[in-house]
Amino acid sequence: MLRLNGSTFKNCDGVTRRNFLQLGAPLLGLGLADLLRSDSHAATAAQSKNKKSTIVFWTHGGMSQQDTYDMKPDAPAEYRGMFTPVETSVPGTAVSERFPLQAKIMHHLSQVRSVHHENGIHAPSAHWMQTGYFGPTLARIAQQSPSFGSVISRSLGARQPQMPAYVAVPKAEAFGYQRAHYLGKAYNPFDVGADPNGKDFKVPNLSLPGDLKLKSVNSRRKLLAKFDTIRRDIDKNGVMEGLDTFKAQALEMVAGDHVREAFDISQEDPNLRDKYGRHQYGQSALLARRLVEAGTRCVTVNTGYWDHHDNIESGLEQHLPPLDRAIWALVEDLADRNMLDDVVIYCAGEFGRTPLINGHAGRDHWSNCFTVMLAGGGIKGGRVVGASEKWGGGVKERLATPLDILATIYHTLGIPLDTYYEDSTGKPSSIVDSGRPIRELL
Amino acid sequence: MSRVAPQSFNRKPEACASVRSRRAHAAGLRLNDDATAPARSEYSVLSSQYRVHLRDLPQRLTLLGVMILSLFLPSSTLAEQPTPIRFTTDVVPVLTKLGCNSGGCHGKATGQNGFRLSLLGFEPDFDFRAIVKEGRGRRIALTAPERSLLLVKATNQKPHGGGRRTEVGSEEYEVLRHWVAGGAIAPSPDDPVAERIELSPSEKVLGNRSNQALLVTAHFSDGTTRDVTRRAIYEANEPEIASVESNGIVATHDKTGLFSVMVRFGGQIATFHAAVPLQVTEEERASAEVELTRLEQRRSSPFDRLLIRQWRRLGITPSKLADDATFIRRASVDICGTLPTREEVEAYVADTSADKRARLIDRLLERPEYASNFALKWADILQNRGSGYSTSKQRAGTALFAGWIRDSLAENKPYDQFVSEIITASGKQNENPPAIWYRQVRTQPDYVESVAQAFLGVRIQCAQCHHHPFDRWSQADYYGLAAVFARVGRKGGFADAEVPTNEVIYVKDKGDVLHPRNGKLMRPKALGGPEFELTRYDDPRRSLAHWMMASDNSFFARTMVNRTWAHFHGRGIIHPIDDARDSNPPSNPALLDALAADFIASGYDIKHLVRVICNSHSYGLEAAPNKLNRNDSQTFARFYPRRLSAEVLLDGISQVLDVPTQFAGGPGALPAGTRAIELPDENVPVSFLDVFGRPARTSACECERVDAPSLAQALTLISSAEIQRKLTADNGYAARLAASERTHADNAKEIFVRLLGRAASKEELKTATEFLESEEDRAEAYRSLLWSLLATNEFMFNH
Repeated sequence: MLRLNGSTFKNCDGVTRRNFLQLGAPLLGLGLADLLRSDSHAATAAQSKNKKSTIVFWTHGGMSQQDTYDMKPDAPAEYRGMFTPVETSVPGTAVSERFPLQAKIMHHLSQVRSVHHENGIHAPSAHWMQTGYFGPTLARIAQQSPSFGSVISRSLGARQPQMPAYVAVPKAEAFGYQRAHYLGKAYNPFDVGADPNGKDFKVPNLSLPGDLKLKSVNSRRKLLAKFDTIRRDIDKNGVMEGLDTFKAQALEMVAGDHVREAFDISQEDPNLRDKYGRHQYGQSALLARRLVEAGTRCVTVNTGYWDHHDNIESGLEQHLPPLDRAIWALVEDLADRNMLDDVVIYCAGEFGRTPLINGHAGRDHWSNCFTVMLAGGGIKGGRVVGASEKWGGGVKERLATPLDILATIYHTLGIPLDTYYEDSTGKPSSIVDSGRPIRELL
Repeated sequence: MSRVAPQSFNRKPEACASVRSRRAHAAGLRLNDDATAPARSEYSVLSSQYRVHLRDLPQRLTLLGVMILSLFLPSSTLAEQPTPIRFTTDVVPVLTKLGCNSGGCHGKATGQNGFRLSLLGFEPDFDFRAIVKEGRGRRIALTAPERSLLLVKATNQKPHGGGRRTEVGSEEYEVLRHWVAGGAIAPSPDDPVAERIELSPSEKVLGNRSNQALLVTAHFSDGTTRDVTRRAIYEANEPEIASVESNGIVATHDKTGLFSVMVRFGGQIATFHAAVPLQVTEEERASAEVELTRLEQRRSSPFDRLLIRQWRRLGITPSKLADDATFIRRASVDICGTLPTREEVEAYVADTSADKRARLIDRLLERPEYASNFALKWADILQNRGSGYSTSKQRAGTALFAGWIRDSLAENKPYDQFVSEIITASGKQNENPPAIWYRQVRTQPDYVESVAQAFLGVRIQCAQCHHHPFDRWSQADYYGLAAVFARVGRKGGFADAEVPTNEVIYVKDKGDVLHPRNGKLMRPKALGGPEFELTRYDDPRRSLAHWMMASDNSFFARTMVNRTWAHFHGRGIIHPIDDARDSNPPSNPALLDALAADFIASGYDIKHLVRVICNSHSYGLEAAPNKLNRNDSQTFARFYPRRLSAEVLLDGISQVLDVPTQFAGGPGALPAGTRAIELPDENVPVSFLDVFGRPARTSACECERVDAPSLAQALTLISSAEIQRKLTADNGYAARLAASERTHADNAKEIFVRLLGRAASKEELKTATEFLESEEDRAEAYRSLLWSLLATNEFMFNH
């Protein structure tokens, strides 16, 4: 498929006949089967050509920029917060003292300190950051857009056909906006459904219910192959063939080895597990690495709830050290495995938090200017892009929209930025619209 | 295809609806509309092929000559054109042809790099300002036209995001250059505008792998005509059957069927309709003719004759009739949303009377499940949405509306009355259930788009912001229809939910809608129809209802007929069902018209309509294709299978395993034994239903319900707790089998009929019996056998 070849489409209009035939055809006569087939061809092509994948740390609820990446040590105490900055491996770039491990590898990590959007409520903001678009609110009827993970899943497929292309650890969050919406249910994230740091971690969605034994699944699989013989040429819409593909994939996931092993975190060296940290952040990051290694294209780690309106210090004391460790260990581990240039690491939430500490010793929602972190996958490390005003507040320079961030990720992954998907009304929707990749990071 | 999830494509869209339109096009064309006229000889395919080509030869040669000439025509000839280059007449079509004003480029609402044009050039004044006045005047250079940014960018002499759109010196380039050189004259109201375009030919029967040049002539408002073949835009709706080049040359490929090519110029649209009949041998044609003649004599329904006529034109032979077991399963699922029991299958197969099919259909229509099944469909279309309500007091409305819909269908309320009661509903929502429609449908776009899509089969969304690119609808049509609902008032109601409920719907004295561009007050107006004569005491909605239900309204009955046809045939005669457009023609216009006329004559009798469709020859056909219809996906020459809908599939599994689903109904749980097709709204949490495509009811489009396959569906079948519970329940069918004294073979025989509605083959019986005998855990063996049949496509599909 054209959308995989990664070449840029200079042709603005793009409606070449060839284009239309190749891409429009599945809409018309070829049906979903062909689409799936081409997707699986695509997966094969992608396997050899496109090795990129993404691991996301989603700070659900909104992480404070001012206590982490974008510190304001010279601001008055009510803005400054409780932590002091520490120097990093990049001269001139300092981060919170609660990020001492990331400080050591700051030459791999880049920050965009001028992200801005215009909503201050969790769910609509999560929609904005997850999809790039301003979506529905209580007062605004608008259609939902697909999450960037779903766009990645749809555009690139899994690197290994048995693996789910898009996985959420432990499950999809962001107020329901990590899903595929009009892209189709096939591109929703696969929920792991359990804490990888849990004792005897198992994936409920791959585990068999109650008393169902693997042996039975295998007998059922054999019987199904014998009985599922209705002529396939009676369905020209591709639904049968699609179901066949997914039945085979699901049976392989439940009963086969590749997927089970990918999820089997106990196969990791205990020392490495310790390095990642024996907490949900660390083990989720480690699981994410196992999954992208096995062929998953996008893993979103949803850890904790960062909505620190009250007593932010104790909240951050809980969350920052494990996040710091997880990101550090992941970067080092990927570098050790020569995978760092293939895996984009992205850390963001729906917004940041108010520069001014409130009466409850907390910080409230703040979307005017906040920071996201990007690393790996070919993104330049050690950069700081954009800047906030003196005490936080607004963007001082180089405003970055949520779509700019997503455009940067898509571009890095090799997804052409002029990819369009049809929304539920039939209107072609751009994956990035006006968003432009952040050149300073490429 | 409307059942499949939205598809991806990696191309810049030409306009907001372009893809839908391509998909939408998928139907076919109008050939020899008059039902009574004998088929013209060129349609009797093989023998006339040659003649058709010969007949057209001179025209084709001339056309070719013109084209070749125009290729070698030195561009200087343009300079000598006596008439000045006019902006509206000449420049805008060039911008359109080059794609500058397409929805993916400068035509999109935000423009591109600060340069914005009106979408597809519908607003020349706007475009003129953008080109001449904006951009600090850099876009044109009057003294050195070729240095105009407009030309420099279009030819990519300066970096252009859109790349090279044309070459220096091309005809298009010269039009733009001369316009600038001539002083970049502004559009004037006197500029000739295209009033219609004419295609030659406009319809044709074509062979495989043949070419057809289209000649496009525009008729302008000043009475002149001009060949605009080179300026027009072309889109073929079935690229597997035929494609079209930007110069208007249509090329057919190897596939058989109907296709059309939409041609657009200067805001006008014309459609070329063509058929590519199957290439068959003389013997095949003869035997097909015998078969069709036999059918014609045996089947007396006028609708069947219209089907047969089209098959004959295309050289298609329909599949055989499906066997009885298949038919009773098919009809039970489609009419009642319910699998037939083993007893029903056996009795129907054993029945030897000639009219058993008709009687079966009558019986099914009288069952309460008929009303439940269709009420579910209508609750989707009418957006009876439960999500967003936190208390049962607020939510009760959905159950009331669901009940009202079900009762209306059960008592066979005439369709015109049913719709009229909904759109004209007033009063308290908890006392007048159809007023609950106004709960989800509450904004101007909701009113206009829901009415247009649900009842008139028209997608008018595009016209909210700009002239519909593929249809006749203007913004005036959109806002005229909006004005019908401008006086809908609301009072009271609970407001502490996502959407208020228990409101009182009433007609206000006033309520204005202004045209968004010219600010004119819009008078309530039917879609493409007259402005209504109204006093302040009249309810404009009532006028709309009268207009909709007038017997000469071509939208209303046809939309319902097409929707119902699609329910039973897996595809509308117009496809998608709610996208009627001149550029998306019905595949069998005469059939659609005949069904609509019959529906109106019956007094909008829905059960009568179902009866007519279910008794049609096409509905009784086998799904398996034969050699002479294997490519057919448009003319209903075989049954097009589809996956059971989420609710029907879940109910089917519950039924065959004899373990009902326990629905969590929130406060005041639903009674035990409630079926999925009976749920009051879509907000009863059932993960199985969501995974298998239950819609969220946020639009009037049936396309919201999808049967796109997913990994989650497969995992649900394999390892969900719900399926496992149904297989392991103490009093379920699986447990009964395990406890039965009968032989494995007898049990296996029963299982096949119970689950698949047919007897097991010898081979299958052997496999099943050997498996049962080989397993130590008898109960688990039966569970596995049952599961392996439930998971087959044969079970999961209506076929």
